[in-house]
Amino acid sequence: MKNNHLSGIAALASKKMFSAMLLLALPFFAIAQTATDVVQPPKEFSLANWDWEFISYCTLAVLLILIVARAFDIGSLTEKITGKKVVNWNSTNRWVAIIFLVASVAGIWYEMIYHGKYVMIGDSYSEHGETIDSMFNWTFGFTFVVFAITEALLFYFMFKYRYRDGQKAHYYFHNNKLELIWTVVPAIVLTFLVLRGFNTWSKITAEKPKDAQEIEVFAYQFGWKARYAGADNKFGQSHFTFISGKNPLGLAVQDHVDSLLVDLKKDTALLNLQIASADDSAKAWKAAFVKFNTGSNATAYPAVFKELKTKMEDAESGAYVRQLKKDLRRKNTTITRISTYRKDDKVFNNAGNDDKITTEIVLVKGKSYTFNFRARDVIHSAWFPDFRGQMNVVPGMATWFSFVPNKTTEEARVEKNNKDFEFYLYCNKICGGAHYNMKIKITVVGSEAEYNTWMASQVPFVAPPAAPAPAEGDSGAKDSSAVVKPNAVTIR
Amino acid sequence: MSTAALHTDHHHDHDHHEHKESFISKYVFSMDHKMISKQFLITGIVMGIVGLVMSLLFRMQLAWPDEKFGIMEMLLGKWAQDGKLDPNFYMGLVTIHGTIMVFYVLTAGLSGTFSNLLIPLQVGARDMASPFLNMLSYWFFFMSSVVLLISVGVETGPASAGWTVYPPLSALEKAMPGSGLGMTLWLVAIILFIVSALLGGINYISTVLNMRTKGMSMNRMPLTIWAFFFTAVLGLLSFPVLLGAGLFLVFDRSFGTSFYLSDIYLEGVGAMENIGGSPVLYQHLFWFLGHPEVYIILMPALGITSEVISTNARKPIFGYTAMVISLMGISFLSFIVWGHHMFITGMNPFLGSVFMILTLIIAVPSAVKVFNYLTTLWKGNLRFTPAMLFSIGLVSFFISGGLTGIYLGNAALDIQLHDSYFVVAHFHLVMGSSAIFGMFAGIYHWFPRMYGRMLNNTLGQFHFWITFITAYLVFFPMHFMGLAGVPRRYYMFTLVKEFDVWMDVNKMMTIAAIVGGAAQLLFLWNFFYSIFRGKKAEQNPWQSNTLEWSAPVKHVHGNWPGAIPEVYRGPYEYSRPDREDDYFPQYVPDESDSVGTGGDGHGSAPKRKSTKKEEVAENVMFAAIKRVFGWS
Repeated sequence: MKNNHLSGIAALASKKMFSAMLLLALPFFAIAQTATDVVQPPKEFSLANWDWEFISYCTLAVLLILIVARAFDIGSLTEKITGKKVVNWNSTNRWVAIIFLVASVAGIWYEMIYHGKYVMIGDSYSEHGETIDSMFNWTFGFTFVVFAITEALLFYFMFKYRYRDGQKAHYYFHNNKLELIWTVVPAIVLTFLVLRGFNTWSKITAEKPKDAQEIEVFAYQFGWKARYAGADNKFGQSHFTFISGKNPLGLAVQDHVDSLLVDLKKDTALLNLQIASADDSAKAWKAAFVKFNTGSNATAYPAVFKELKTKMEDAESGAYVRQLKKDLRRKNTTITRISTYRKDDKVFNNAGNDDKITTEIVLVKGKSYTFNFRARDVIHSAWFPDFRGQMNVVPGMATWFSFVPNKTTEEARVEKNNKDFEFYLYCNKICGGAHYNMKIKITVVGSEAEYNTWMASQVPFVAPPAAPAPAEGDSGAKDSSAVVKPNAVTIR
Repeated sequence: MSTAALHTDHHHDHDHHEHKESFISKYVFSMDHKMISKQFLITGIVMGIVGLVMSLLFRMQLAWPDEKFGIMEMLLGKWAQDGKLDPNFYMGLVTIHGTIMVFYVLTAGLSGTFSNLLIPLQVGARDMASPFLNMLSYWFFFMSSVVLLISVGVETGPASAGWTVYPPLSALEKAMPGSGLGMTLWLVAIILFIVSALLGGINYISTVLNMRTKGMSMNRMPLTIWAFFFTAVLGLLSFPVLLGAGLFLVFDRSFGTSFYLSDIYLEGVGAMENIGGSPVLYQHLFWFLGHPEVYIILMPALGITSEVISTNARKPIFGYTAMVISLMGISFLSFIVWGHHMFITGMNPFLGSVFMILTLIIAVPSAVKVFNYLTTLWKGNLRFTPAMLFSIGLVSFFISGGLTGIYLGNAALDIQLHDSYFVVAHFHLVMGSSAIFGMFAGIYHWFPRMYGRMLNNTLGQFHFWITFITAYLVFFPMHFMGLAGVPRRYYMFTLVKEFDVWMDVNKMMTIAAIVGGAAQLLFLWNFFYSIFRGKKAEQNPWQSNTLEWSAPVKHVHGNWPGAIPEVYRGPYEYSRPDREDDYFPQYVPDESDSVGTGGDGHGSAPKRKSTKKEEVAENVMFAAIKRVFGWS
């Protein structure tokens, strides 16, 4: 029988090949459909714009490598002709391995001396941070021993047991006792680390401390804002639909929300008008395009040409109207939602009027704080590296983190011998182009008095109607004695 | 095409077929696993070059944020006007670099290449269980690569939300430029990729389970095959979850659903309608793939290392059974530890503790593997071929990077270390460098098997040492940066005074990266030159034991011209005291070896016949596996 599975494959291939190719080609058709609009148009071709210096360096480097490669080729040829090995790689490598081992120990040593003081071992500025650092030290102790021993053995074995002609390896493939040892010993060490880690983690995250002052930390593209409860120690309620230019955190404050409603209604009226006149605007765009697209305008002003063309095509294909309708629906939904909440007195209870929205976080040393996080748009992450704290800030989800700062900024400056040192809260979850510049300063002060001075300098969200501000000393004494127990509530 | 047909003797007519094969069916839409593996490898290398160049571009930005590079403008056009990289495009580069390296190079390029090449050759099969699906698997991968590369060129830029593409950033078109069409194309590419991975995976599993040659019991399979097998199982069970996650994301992006979206106010748009979704849901779904994915990347590299180290140490691999069990343990555990990527996402802290415990357990099988590698090297007769060097490099990276996993798996420490440069150091060592070194080891070791020619040894030696040293120089200092509180994915560090002290380290890392990148030219030259002009390979250039070296150097369709060789012993019988040679191939019958047909993967001499009990146990295991996967 000549007919075996291979001809079977071939037969199958001829039948299925066509359909397979079609199937494979489908996405390319799909892409080709959009590709003309999609793929970035090539820039005007000009050799002068190119980085000729760099290109010549690259070319030189490539040439050099090719020459080296060629030289080695010749080397191997001579080896073949003379029958002698020019380099014995087995003995060369044993020495390279040892040199590498020594050099890397020296490198790590150098790096530790050079940068070790910046590495955060034992310089946390919060109470729980010390437990994290001690956890780190235990883990470091164990892993460093394992790291040093295993890496040293690896390179030492390279040195010791390199190939020699006529030598035979030790035929050794199994030892239950040995394998049991290196299963059980890591298991015991890890059990220790797990139990310790479990303890540390639970203490830090399990529940909010009851006597902590709460601060709302609000994240948006690209910045942070902090909200303090104000004189009444109560946070006003907030909702994402209330957010507007004047009300960046979306607090439930009558005036702002009412004016937002008015604006939204104006917007919807405009959108309705635009939808109604969509046919006319399509004609208008077309006329504008035709008028523009004469002579060499298209090549002389490519940006304008492209914009007009896009507008015209969007208007003709209906994409323009679809977008308008989408916007309209979205705005109507927002209006409905706001109107519903607007009737609720529990939401609009004026608690937010005296809230203070700040662009800096000020904390008092030794006091317990809980940060309630709220995101406006995408996920951010609040990282307080000096305080060993981090928590993601997730839209639509309430998260928090608590800690007690145990040293002031001044003390930290002395310790670090750096008089410009500041604590920062960084964004640590990719959130867009300016992610790298999203931070807020944290200042830890030594006494309530300093804190109160700062607090008094911050303006409440809604300015109180002409009542004189209370004397600083008075309100300060009151604030410090009161146990702050506000409830930051976000409407769900 | 039944399994039985594959075992028939058909050397009479394969010449006839070679004549009939057209260029397209031989080189393009080939269904021969050897050709498909070459296709995977070369596509992987091309994608690897793209990923590498991207990493060099953003490393240049990090090292010299105030310099202007004409080369950037030349390559990136409007994204680097006047030679300064745009912050949005920086994110795009980071994202596409991650995606390419994780999926296209280290999943498809590594596992796709070597699973395809080695599974049929090492278990003794004529081809994959379904050559047609195998071909489709490659072409889906190819399409996916093309779509991803196209997405880099779109006007609004490629996907830029990090390779994990967390919504809402990735779900809202207006959240950042890259979340527009670039993100859509990213999702299309990933969905095509998943299809490819699934088609490949079912093929690998069914080939390993059903098509082993006579005498090739499961416990005589080389560790490479075990690794590919578990990798395929992981992929098969976890990739569909990513498919689901991706489809939900498509729905949220295009059809107005709210799986991942809630309570969002977007600058320039206003309050969104979406309510009730949870971005954390996406993270759970993503990491349910994302964590096994780490092992999908790593395990083939570990399998290749086992094979290469044993061959070049001229010693049986130490603890074959322990190696298999630890692979199995890692595979199982990898499914229940995904939460360690999410300790600080606001997930219930108690859940965090559970994931911490499960995560740290993984260190035990990993430790077993490392100690077994070391014992295999102990008292060996080490031949430092480039493949061997790369395998040793892998073990070194696996130790350095693996140990920092103990820090990151600890929820308490993760509070501080999450998303810092410490994480970047960790995964670039344990997963990136390790796996790419495994891939290089595989290429250097099996190049003669793939192309019938040898790679230049000297270039390989240089390639190894330059790459090894520069990889450590790039990634090791990142530990220190992370511990000092430097966050990852920052476009530049000059805006924060505290980061100034790291600028010279940044420069050093970038220079090391450029040197390391240039060293890859040595490899590329060596690779493409040797395909055509390299020294002709011998039948068994490394004096290896495994079955693939019994096949003729010149590829034939069906792998062996005559009958498929029978297997008589385990794959790692090196330096047996009762033999004169220091190797004893699996396929060589030996009358003096009276119990040749039985025995373990690592037989001792004289060998022990497997007992009735063991046979029964093995059959039960097979039946169970087949039942689970629905094969009868």
